[in-house]
Amino acid sequence: MTSAISVRNLTKDFRIGIRGLKLRAVDDLTLEIPRGQVYGLLGPNGCGKSTTLKIILGLVPATAGEITILGQPSATASARERTGFLPEAPYFHKFLSGRELVRYCAQLSGVTAERVDQSVEEALALAAMTEAASRPIGTYSKGMLQRIGFAQAIVHDPELVILDEPTAGVDPVGSAAIGRMIHAMRDKGKTVVLCSHLLGQVEQVCDRVAIMDRGKLVLEGKVDDVLARRDRHVMTIEALTPAAQDAAETALAAHGAKVTSVTHPRRSLEDLFRELVTGSRDA
Amino acid sequence: MKASLQRTYLISRVTFLEAVRQRFFAFLIVLGATMVLSSLSFRFLDFGHGELKFIADFGFGGMFLFGSVLGVVMTAQLFFSEMDNRTALTLLAKPLSRTEFLLGKFFGAWAVLAVFLGVLSLLLGGVMWWREQAILVQAEQRGLLPGVFSASGMFAYALLQWLRLGVVIAIVLTISSIARTFLFAVIVGALAVVAGQLQWIAQDVLLKPTESLTYKAFLWTSSRLLPNLQQFNIGDALVLEPASVPADAIPWVVASGVFYMAAYLVLAAFIFRRREI
Repeated sequence: MTSAISVRNLTKDFRIGIRGLKLRAVDDLTLEIPRGQVYGLLGPNGCGKSTTLKIILGLVPATAGEITILGQPSATASARERTGFLPEAPYFHKFLSGRELVRYCAQLSGVTAERVDQSVEEALALAAMTEAASRPIGTYSKGMLQRIGFAQAIVHDPELVILDEPTAGVDPVGSAAIGRMIHAMRDKGKTVVLCSHLLGQVEQVCDRVAIMDRGKLVLEGKVDDVLARRDRHVMTIEALTPAAQDAAETALAAHGAKVTSVTHPRRSLEDLFRELVTGSRDA
Repeated sequence: MKASLQRTYLISRVTFLEAVRQRFFAFLIVLGATMVLSSLSFRFLDFGHGELKFIADFGFGGMFLFGSVLGVVMTAQLFFSEMDNRTALTLLAKPLSRTEFLLGKFFGAWAVLAVFLGVLSLLLGGVMWWREQAILVQAEQRGLLPGVFSASGMFAYALLQWLRLGVVIAIVLTISSIARTFLFAVIVGALAVVAGQLQWIAQDVLLKPTESLTYKAFLWTSSRLLPNLQQFNIGDALVLEPASVPADAIPWVVASGVFYMAAYLVLAAFIFRRREI
């Protein structure tokens, strides 16, 4: 089976200023994104993530390199038929209602007239936007804009969904909701490419990650593989007394192991926030 | 083909809805209507050309002036709002070609101008018909033969103006597909309309004998690069003096307008294909 996205030796130079100085945004990037997984594309601002996504979608021409989407050359309209895209900080026509926008995008994506109503309602339901779907987009909060953007990206049931900073500016509850939507897509067998610098979320939802810096790929692999430290172990112990700790350290030392730190486990601030705040106001 | 037409239609429909919701459109339509109606107040200044002719000229002037402003500013605004707000990113990431996107913008803007011209033509036609009834009574009493208003001529006039503004929209879209800013597109678009109105001067100079082939080539190119927008003024005569218009003149003007519109749209699509979104 072909990869969802195959990028080979991609290079992108931008010409800037009157003298046409060359700025290399992507430098000889090679990536294979397998199907059916959630793939995180990470990196600091200006590292070339968004440019790479735009080139993949045919919005910006590449200087050099080859890209295929689901086995078809990118930059063709047919390659985008099975692709959904949520851009960073999406902006939509304010006078349309959420439902009108999703219907408009469904029709542009080739959803047939018989299926369009059902597809729109399913996408709105998955994005938890059914209740607010009749309101004009101009009245939506940032989180709702992201969710309606997600609905328009998946309304035509694409095989590949590309999300550029889907949780930027969204509160933790909304962010968690988007995380659930991504999981739902993976459960349906879709490939999701997630471009973000919210590392905590990427770690939670992604199967594989690639890290870019200054246009180059610096690391790529399964999340568990790239994060695991095989020479260290963590044990969580209840009711540990000083005496029990001394005994445990002595026992471990007898086997050549050494306890390097003993701390109390912490939950993340995000977990605490989500525990205390049960729902966002725009949910 | 059917799917492509549907996508173009969808883009044009949203473009149309976006444009007619703008205050700018309402403002210009009110201004145009005011100009048409104000011709009644100034009709004593007819310079001996007859009242109906004065009202018609006043109305035609308003329709062309405000129609051109609407065509240039609104087209550039509709194009750059998609670019600057980045809605184009969402749309062009779908199986929508850039040509379909551009044609959708064109037809949406052209439909807005159809509404603009339709409203003002109806208003101007109504004013002229109303004044014609009064003038006919006075003329009969004096035993004179006044000019007669032609409703079908008015319809043909409106269609020709629509075609003229269609050419303007196509030119502005071509400029917008190259331009980086809204302001640049508006200024160059407005200059193109003025140059199109004065293009007959280049054609006149071309007819004069000259030895220089370079000069002749320059004049030939410059006189054909932009359409002669004055040629659409032939529609003015259709409203009051339809018999004075040669039979083959209208098809020629229509063919010329359609040619320039198509040529500029092809050029715009070609340029827009390479634009980075």
